[in-house]
Amino acid sequence: MCEPTATEPATDLLGTPLSEVDERVLAVYSELKKLLAEDGLAPSTAANLRAALAPVAIAVTDLGLCFEHLIELDI
Amino acid sequence: MDTFWNPRTETLGRRDLERLQAAKLRRTVAWAVARSPFHRRRLADAGVAPAEVRTVADITALPLLTREQWMAEQAEFPPYGRLPAIEPRQAVRVHTTSGTSGREPLRALDSRKDWAWAAEMWCYGLWGAGVRPGDTAYVAFGYGSFIGFWGLHYGLEKIGALVVPGGAQSTSNRVRQIIDFGATVVASTPTYALRLAEEARALGVDLPSSTVDKIVLSGEPAGSIPETKRLIEEQWGARAFDTAGMTEVSTIFMFECAHQPGGAHIIEDHLLEEVLDPRGDNPVGYGELGERVVTSFGRSAVPLLRYRTSDLVIREPGTRCGCGRTFDLYSGGVRGRVDEMKLVRGTNVYPRAVESIVRGYAEISEFQLRLSREGLRDEITLRVEVGDWRADDHRWPPLRLRLADELARAHEGLRFRVELCEPATLPRFELKARRLVDDRPEMVPAHV
Repeated sequence: MCEPTATEPATDLLGTPLSEVDERVLAVYSELKKLLAEDGLAPSTAANLRAALAPVAIAVTDLGLCFEHLIELDI
Repeated sequence: MDTFWNPRTETLGRRDLERLQAAKLRRTVAWAVARSPFHRRRLADAGVAPAEVRTVADITALPLLTREQWMAEQAEFPPYGRLPAIEPRQAVRVHTTSGTSGREPLRALDSRKDWAWAAEMWCYGLWGAGVRPGDTAYVAFGYGSFIGFWGLHYGLEKIGALVVPGGAQSTSNRVRQIIDFGATVVASTPTYALRLAEEARALGVDLPSSTVDKIVLSGEPAGSIPETKRLIEEQWGARAFDTAGMTEVSTIFMFECAHQPGGAHIIEDHLLEEVLDPRGDNPVGYGELGERVVTSFGRSAVPLLRYRTSDLVIREPGTRCGCGRTFDLYSGGVRGRVDEMKLVRGTNVYPRAVESIVRGYAEISEFQLRLSREGLRDEITLRVEVGDWRADDHRWPPLRLRLADELARAHEGLRFRVELCEPATLPRFELKARRLVDDRPEMVPAHV
């Protein structure tokens, strides 16, 4: 899990606190994951969200914010 | 800032880089054990629990994986073996190895994210070579089941360059398209870059006066052979940048930056590379020749842990390069293959060493190295084409003598036969060249 919790502030994989931009990138990533977990998405919506999430996942990995495989979302 | 594709990691200090690698390694090992029956069994057999892998140094607890083991798995459980961590239906693409080694091709699945990652690795290299959104890039590649330059294509699109896919074209059409589209970047194998230049000359096209200023090379070690690289740069009037990748990883693992320090940077934030003694499992240090062993953090579909690549490399600290990247270098790129060395009358012969000599003669347009056995004696023959020269050409005898002398001096006095072939009779290649032909009835096992 990469999202901050009530008790743990968000840090990157090295334990460094996130910048504001980092937090916003991570928020986009988290929102796409949440959306894809919704039931009843139209094929077009689901496919395009998946297509969007793949490069966003690379962005958060490149920034060292998060490192996940996302296969459960068919990404 | 503009120098780096991903400044946050490309300039990371070594200690933090290793911490980042360790964080990814822990997750990758856990993922592989949880999802891949093959890796689960191998780690269990080795008595390794994923929780025991905490730091980069702990990687040595994991068993080494060979191509033969992967192929055996694929043969026993076709079509993909049990390495994949996903169901085939979760993948969006399958690619194979090139088959140029004559072996059964290896099949590798990729997920949607895996492809985004493969393109990303190419972006590190393309950006490092100076490719930018304003470039027009011609990809001289067949776009088939071999993974080749597919990732480069997507990387170029990601950067925002204009891509001209050069699939299903004759060589002469490709030359015309490069000129007609005003390409500034050309991507090809080193062999094919020279073939395109040869064709351009035949068509009367002056490549050095064209818009092309960068050649991105991959697919063969020749991109880091100085003599071959110099020839390509002279014939194109452009700078040549070496990269190297492999189907097993799905993308490139190293790239030559614009500083060109005589080596290529390893993409260390996404790959954990070791260099081992090819005769065993012991690591070798900076500056020593050894075999590349790769662990990839990028491909979710097929986890790759400690894969013995057979690539021979010499690792050096990234600080040797002045570009500012902290990623270590493979000095001289991939220097050959463990299984490529040939033993001829007691002398080690590496195709790369022969190529570096042959490419010192700009007039040689193509060559082939043939090994044969006559009675009990091994013979080695270099067959060359020299433009439109024929056997009775008065320029041939002195060139033959010079070549034979240089080859012998570089190989402990081993006598090479040197033969001139008729024009356009030797094979030409678009992908990986196969210039070594070993016709000996019993193969001499390679020992390094």
